[in-house]
Amino acid sequence: MSKRQLAMVMDLNKCIGCQTCTVACKTQWTNRNGREYMYWNNVETYPGTGYPKNWMELGGGFDAAGDLQPGIIPNLEADYGVPWDYNYDALQGGASFEPNVEPTWGPNWDEDEGAGVFPQDNYFFYLPRICNHCTNPGCLSACPRDAIFKREQDGVVLVDLDRCQGYRYCIAGCPYKKIYFNPKISKSEKCILCFPRIEQGLPPACAQQCVGRIRFVGFLDDTEGQVHKLVNKYKVALGLRSDYGTQPNVYYVPPTESPAKFDADGKIIEGSTRLPIEELEKLFGPEVHQAIKTLKAEMKKRKETGESELMDILIAYQHSDMFRLDNNYYQQVAKDNGHKALAPVDNRYIAGKFTKNSHEMNFFHGGDFKAGGHH
Amino acid sequence: MKKLASTIVAAGLIASSVAADSAITAVKVNADLDRVNYKSAVWKDAKFSTVTLYPQTTIEFNDKKANALNTANKAVKAKIAAVYNDSRIAFLIGWSDETKNVTTGTKTDEYADGFAVQFASNSTNPKELPYIGMGSDGRPVVIHLQKEAIGVFEPNGNGDVSHQINPNQTDLFGEDLKNFNKKVKRLASTDYERSFVSEGFRSMTEIKDASNKSYSRIGYASGGWSGTVSRPLKDEYVNLNAASIPVAFAVWDGEKMGRNGLKNLTAWTAVKLEGKKGGDALVTALHGKVAGDAAKGKEAAMMNGCTGCHQMEATDAANLMGPSLTNIGGYSTVDYLRESLVNPSAVVVPGYNRNAHSNYAWYNIENGKRVSTMPDHSWMEKADLDNIVAYLKTLKAEVK
Repeated sequence: MSKRQLAMVMDLNKCIGCQTCTVACKTQWTNRNGREYMYWNNVETYPGTGYPKNWMELGGGFDAAGDLQPGIIPNLEADYGVPWDYNYDALQGGASFEPNVEPTWGPNWDEDEGAGVFPQDNYFFYLPRICNHCTNPGCLSACPRDAIFKREQDGVVLVDLDRCQGYRYCIAGCPYKKIYFNPKISKSEKCILCFPRIEQGLPPACAQQCVGRIRFVGFLDDTEGQVHKLVNKYKVALGLRSDYGTQPNVYYVPPTESPAKFDADGKIIEGSTRLPIEELEKLFGPEVHQAIKTLKAEMKKRKETGESELMDILIAYQHSDMFRLDNNYYQQVAKDNGHKALAPVDNRYIAGKFTKNSHEMNFFHGGDFKAGGHH
Repeated sequence: MKKLASTIVAAGLIASSVAADSAITAVKVNADLDRVNYKSAVWKDAKFSTVTLYPQTTIEFNDKKANALNTANKAVKAKIAAVYNDSRIAFLIGWSDETKNVTTGTKTDEYADGFAVQFASNSTNPKELPYIGMGSDGRPVVIHLQKEAIGVFEPNGNGDVSHQINPNQTDLFGEDLKNFNKKVKRLASTDYERSFVSEGFRSMTEIKDASNKSYSRIGYASGGWSGTVSRPLKDEYVNLNAASIPVAFAVWDGEKMGRNGLKNLTAWTAVKLEGKKGGDALVTALHGKVAGDAAKGKEAAMMNGCTGCHQMEATDAANLMGPSLTNIGGYSTVDYLRESLVNPSAVVVPGYNRNAHSNYAWYNIENGKRVSTMPDHSWMEKADLDNIVAYLKTLKAEVK
C-alpha cells in the first residue's frame, strides 16, 4: 500500500459519450509505437461488449480468499480489433478513400446499442474506463519479474520498462484488462495517470478535456478535496467491480436518472425506470442502493432548499476545485528522495544491486539524467 | 552450411538410454570465438552430449490458456557442444521443435521459441550452487537468452524520440513520408538477445550497461532449432576459467505460449574444460550416483507430511503452500535437495508475489532476509535424508 493515493471520480449521470477523453489520451500517449490499438482511456456503452470484448469474462483479479485468479490474454484481431487508417496520401493521385485494414472490430463498435426493446424499455449508459490504479493491483501481483510497481507518493501503478520482459501475466491478472501488450517493443504498457502532468499540478488529459466535467481528481486523504467528499463523506462514488478484490481507485457516481418505460400501447408506465438496479449492483456492489438514495435525497434537498454541498460538487463549477493536485507536493517528494521529478524509476532495484555499472537512461530526448545502475 | 545445422539437430533427436545426463566436455580450440554461430566450422571439432530438459512446474502462472496447453508436458532432449579458447567459451544447443514460432511484432498473444544458458557466479562449493531457477539470494547467476523476433524496438527508440511520433502527425508526405517510415523500420532490431544477472527469478535484471560481451545466434532448420552463445571466460559477473563449471540450459516452445517459467530446463550440468586439471568434485556432485532407497524415501516423505505443503507427484492435487516438486528430480541437484531439507532458508524460492496468494506464505522476511516457513529437517537420520533425496530425484516427467 502506498503512503498516499491519488484517485479519480467519474459522474456517470453526466457522461455524454463524446469520447473527448479517449481522444485526449490517444493523442497524448497511444497513437504511435505499437500502442495504436491500446485505449488507456475508453468509453464503452453499457450494456455492451466493452473493450476488449467481454473483458469482464476474461478472468484475473482475486477470489474471496485473496488468491489471484487465472485470466486470458486477449487477441488483437478478435478481442481488441486491428486499428485501421486511411490512404490520405494517395488521395492526391486520385485514389479512392480506402482503409488500410478491413475494419472488423474496434473499441466502440457497439456504441449506443445498449439493451432492451425500442421504444418500450431500451436503455444504456456510458462507462468511461481507465486503469484503476488499484490498491491491490492484479497486474502487479501477477508479474514474476517485479516489473510493476505502485508509487509510494501517490499510488500510481507503473511498469518499469527496463524490467518488463513481455510475459503478459499482468494482462491475465488485471480483471479490467487495462494493461496492454505492446508487440513492437515486446513489453506491457498502461495508463500512467498522466504522471508527468500530475507532477506539474495538471490533471490527467482525460479529466482536463472532459466536456461534461464528470471527472474529479485528488488525493483520497485530502479531506477538503471533492474526491474525498464524494468517496468518503457522502459515499456516492463507488469502485467498479470491487468484487474483483483489487481495491480500485477510480470511483463512479452511479447513473440515477433514466426515463420511464412505455407499455405496449406506447403509454408511460408511471414510476418505472429503465436502468435495471441489478445491473448497477453488478457493477458497483450492494452499496449502490444507498448511494442512489443519498443522491436522490440531496437532489430533492437542493430543489427544495437551494442548498446541498453534494449537488454543488457534482455541478462541477470550478476546475480548480475539481482537481486538487498540490504541485509543490511532488517537488518536495522528488527533493526528499534525491530524484529528479519525472523519474519513472522503481527504486527497489536502483543503484547497482544487480549490475555493476550505472548507465544513462535515455527516456527523454538527450538522455539527460542518470538513473543509477539498476539495470 | 545449413546441412551442418540440421545434422546437429538430427543428432539431438536420438533418445539417450542413459538415466542421468553426464558431464559435457568443452574442447579447446584455437579458432576465434568472438562471432561464432551455429554454422561456424568450429563445431566440427566439438564433442556433442545430450542433456534432458524438464518442464518447470515449481510455480504455476496465471495464464489460463497457457496452463491448459502445458498440463502434461514431457521432458525433451537437447544436443550440446562446447568449445573454448584462451579468452572465450561458446556453447551450441540443438533441439527439435515441430513448430517454428517467432514474434512478428504485430500480435498480442504470440510467443517465440528460444533458449537460455545459465552460469553460476560462484561455484567453488559444488554443494552450494545457486538455485536452478535463476539463482538465489547471495548466489547470483548470469543468464544469456536468445529468441527470434522479426523486428523489436527499444521503448525509448535508443533515444531517437523524433522517430517515435505517429507518421500521420509529421508534416511529411510522398517520398519524405516513405523515407521517414523506412528510417523507423531501421530502428528495429531482429536480434532478441538479452543477458541478465539474477539472485532469484524476481530479481532478474537485464545487463544494459554495455558491460556484457556475449554474442548469441539462433536459427531454425529441418524441424529443430540450433543456437549458440559465446561469452568471455571471465568478466565482471562470472569466472568460467576453471577445470569444470556448472551450466544449465533452458528452451521455450512458443507454440505452447512458452515464456518465463513456462519452459523446459536442465539441472546444473558440469562442463569440463578439456586440458585443465581437477574439477572432479563438481562432476561427482552433479553426476554421481544417488545414494539412498527411493521407495523407502517415499514412505519417509509421506510420514513427514511433505504433501501437506508440496505437490509431489504429478497425480497429486496442486498445493499453493509450497513449491510444486513434480519435476524437482529433473532440474535439481542432490546437494540442493539435501540442503533444502536440513537448511530450508539457505535457498528460498521467490515464489509468487506475496499479494497473489496472501494466505500461503512461503517465507517470512526477518531482518531483510527471506526465512522459509518450511521446518528444518536436520534432526533426521542421515539414511532417511538419503532416502528422501533419492525419492525426490525420481520426481520428474517422462522424456518425450
